[in-house]
Amino acid sequence: MKLPLSGLCPILLSTVMCVTFVGCNIVRITLNTPLTQNDVAFIIPGQTTLADVITKLGTPDSITDSHTGVVATYRFLDMKYSKINFGWMLKLWSPVDVDLIISRTGLGIDAFELLCDSNWVVTHQSFLRHLSSPRFNPYPF
Amino acid sequence: MLFFKPLAGIVIVLALVITQGCAFSRGTLGEDIRSESVAAIKKDTTTKAELLSLLGAPDRLLQVNGRDVFQYYRYDAKVGSLLLILINFSRLSIKSDDLFVILNRDGIVEDVILSKRTDGLEFRFWPFGE
Repeated sequence: MKLPLSGLCPILLSTVMCVTFVGCNIVRITLNTPLTQNDVAFIIPGQTTLADVITKLGTPDSITDSHTGVVATYRFLDMKYSKINFGWMLKLWSPVDVDLIISRTGLGIDAFELLCDSNWVVTHQSFLRHLSSPRFNPYPF
Repeated sequence: MLFFKPLAGIVIVLALVITQGCAFSRGTLGEDIRSESVAAIKKDTTTKAELLSLLGAPDRLLQVNGRDVFQYYRYDAKVGSLLLILINFSRLSIKSDDLFVILNRDGIVEDVILSKRTDGLEFRFWPFGE
C-alpha cells in the first residue's frame, strides 16, 4: 500500500533535520535548585529570620561567621553544554575519523547570600552574580 | 485510517534504528543522614558526646555566632543519557542533604536544621526546560 505524501513529509523532515544536526551532544548539569528573585521575595530584611528562610528554601550550603553576624550561602549551578561534530558525516566514507567540532559551555554559577545578625534575623540579602540562565548555543565565535 | 498503520510502523522502525541506547549513572558522596538518628537529637538535652555517638564526627566544624556548628552533608548525583545515533541528550542533577547542629557554649544542642533535597532527585534525560 502506498503512503500518502502528507504522511511521508514528517518523516522526511525529521530525517533531514537529524542529518543536519549530525554528531550533536546536548548536556545539562544542575547543582541544587536554581533560585530566582521570586523564590526569595518573601525575605524582608529586619523581620525575616534564618529559620523562616530555612523553612522555605531548605538548609543553606554553608554558614560562616563574620564580624557583623552570620552569612548563610545557597549555591547553585546550571551548566549547559552543546556540541556539533560536522566530521561525523565523513564516517560513512572516510577510513579515518575526522572531527570538525564546535562546542560551547555556559556556566550559570550563582549563589544567594544572607547576612544575619546575632539574633538570626536577616539584615541583608543578595544574589552573588545576577546571572541569567545560559542557553544551548554551540557557536563559539 | 488504514494508512496510519504503515506510518506508525515506519515511525517505530525509525525510532528503533535511531535509538542507540540509554545510560544511567549515579554517584554519592558521604553517608546517608538517617532520619531516626536526627530524631534522637533533642534540643537543650543532647550533649556533644551523645551527638558524636549518634552521627559520628562532622564533615565540617564551624564557629558561628559564638557557637559550635556541626555540619553533616551528603551529595547525590544522577545522570540520565539518551544516546541516539545522530544526537545525544544527557542531564546530570546534583543535590545535597545538609544537617546543621548548633551547640551552645556548654556543649548542649541548641538547634537542629535538616533538609533533604535528594529525596526528590530523579533521573532525567531531557536537558531543556526546568
